[in-house]
Amino acid sequence: MDTNPALRVGAFEVLFPVRQNQSLIKPSGDGGYPGRLFIVEGIDGSGKSTQLSLLHKWLEAKGYGVVFSEWNSSMLVKDTTKLGKKKKMLTPATFSLIHCTDFADRTEKSILPLLKAGAVVLCDRYVYTAFARDVARGMDRQWVRDLYDFAVKPTVAFYFRVPLETAIGRITAARDCLKYYEAGLDLGLSDDPIESFRKFQGRILDEYERMIPEFGLTVIDATLPVEVQQMQVRQIAKRQLEGAEELRVRP
Amino acid sequence: MRETYGKLLPGMKLSDLAGKLIVIEGTDGAGRTTQINLLKPWLEELGHAVLDTGMTRSPLAGDGIRRAKEGNNLGRVTQSLFYATDFVDRLENEIAPALRAGFIVLTDRYIYSLIARAMVRGVDPAWIRSLYMVALKPDAVFYLRVGVDQLVPRVIFSRGFDYWESGMDLFPAHDMYDAFCNYQKALLAEFDRLSTEYGFETVDASPDPKIVFSSLKARILNLLDGAQKSFMSRQVEETIERMTRMMDPAVAFAAQNFVASQPEPVMGNIPRFLSANGNGNGHHS
Repeated sequence: MDTNPALRVGAFEVLFPVRQNQSLIKPSGDGGYPGRLFIVEGIDGSGKSTQLSLLHKWLEAKGYGVVFSEWNSSMLVKDTTKLGKKKKMLTPATFSLIHCTDFADRTEKSILPLLKAGAVVLCDRYVYTAFARDVARGMDRQWVRDLYDFAVKPTVAFYFRVPLETAIGRITAARDCLKYYEAGLDLGLSDDPIESFRKFQGRILDEYERMIPEFGLTVIDATLPVEVQQMQVRQIAKRQLEGAEELRVRP
Repeated sequence: MRETYGKLLPGMKLSDLAGKLIVIEGTDGAGRTTQINLLKPWLEELGHAVLDTGMTRSPLAGDGIRRAKEGNNLGRVTQSLFYATDFVDRLENEIAPALRAGFIVLTDRYIYSLIARAMVRGVDPAWIRSLYMVALKPDAVFYLRVGVDQLVPRVIFSRGFDYWESGMDLFPAHDMYDAFCNYQKALLAEFDRLSTEYGFETVDASPDPKIVFSSLKARILNLLDGAQKSFMSRQVEETIERMTRMMDPAVAFAAQNFVASQPEPVMGNIPRFLSANGNGNGHHS
């Protein structure tokens, strides 16, 4: 197999750099693209989306050009994912692939070009969600990591760490019922949605814990008051925005 | 036992995939579909159960891919992954179950076309290969090869130039003819490389379809014949071994001599412990 970094196929440049032994994912920010990429991760009920939306408002108030991208939101792929979930057609492998397709479309159309253009990009869930969920569903850990090799490495990946029972309490209080794949009911861990959800999220938590050192996730204690968490998030983000004046949009 | 290209999907058992997986590969207009339409009824007439499948036929992703291709905003990585979703859906829900049931699976294109398309679009070769490590290795890949000069009249006089078959996403500045030639040339070069890497059996697809069909028939018969024989000889071997264990040594010796004295082996290879010299050198003849 040809793995020469200078490889050209016909007239087209190779999209990805050759895989290195360290991280599989390219950096953004210093030494990468001029933009900044902040992403939030955590299990359902960890409060990550609340924190991201507070960060979003703050960044906008500061005058940055901010763009938000949500997990599973590509217009091109959405219908297929919806079909697969509704008809329960997804296996662990196709679940993994269709979510990766969605992520690829968002990377190619928005995340990557926006970072090149110097924007601040905010993502609610990123590749780590796929790594956690797909491995919890039995996919090969390395295969899933290789699959997402095209992803841009975030400037900061915030991980909102919360004990399982707290998250379950928040979710069950907020929802009437859990969805089939969300509760991991496709895995046959338990017939009871809550019990299945507990087991499935437990596996996901284990995967997140493993990824903290592997990918250098920034851990935020999600049991702290919302305001305290947000203060920490803003402080960390602020440090990364230094020297990024060119990102400011003129009023 | 069947193998994959390196990774196993959850729930995929390789031990019971007894059928035959036959891949028909080739560029657009090489006559793959024509050949599959001839091969399927022929195989069924011979008594084989046949499943035919091909790209974008999955209930999960087929329509999604077709819709995505209507616009001109399908990126190369997204495209590769959408096709991979379609492929894995069919692999898990059609191809593997059919092989398990002893079917002959005839597939119009396999991972190789998808790799070739991704490669000409400049996708990382290591990435696209690691993606398809979960694919099952086929029993044979017949690569219908035809030069670009012959492809052009076939395409013009059948369905006309197609946006994607012409690689218009890659050559937007050219007209369809130039785009088609450049794109198909690049694909052909990629197929030729993959042919060596994955061990394709190249079939010259330039002559009349009937001639290509006879060539394919001969190759497939050869493949099935070998499989049939090894299956039969395994059955014979097991039966005789079981009987020999229960027999008096003198009777067993006589039985061996009897089998060895037969002028023509009835079915396939004679098991090694029954071979004429009886020295048990550990090789099947």
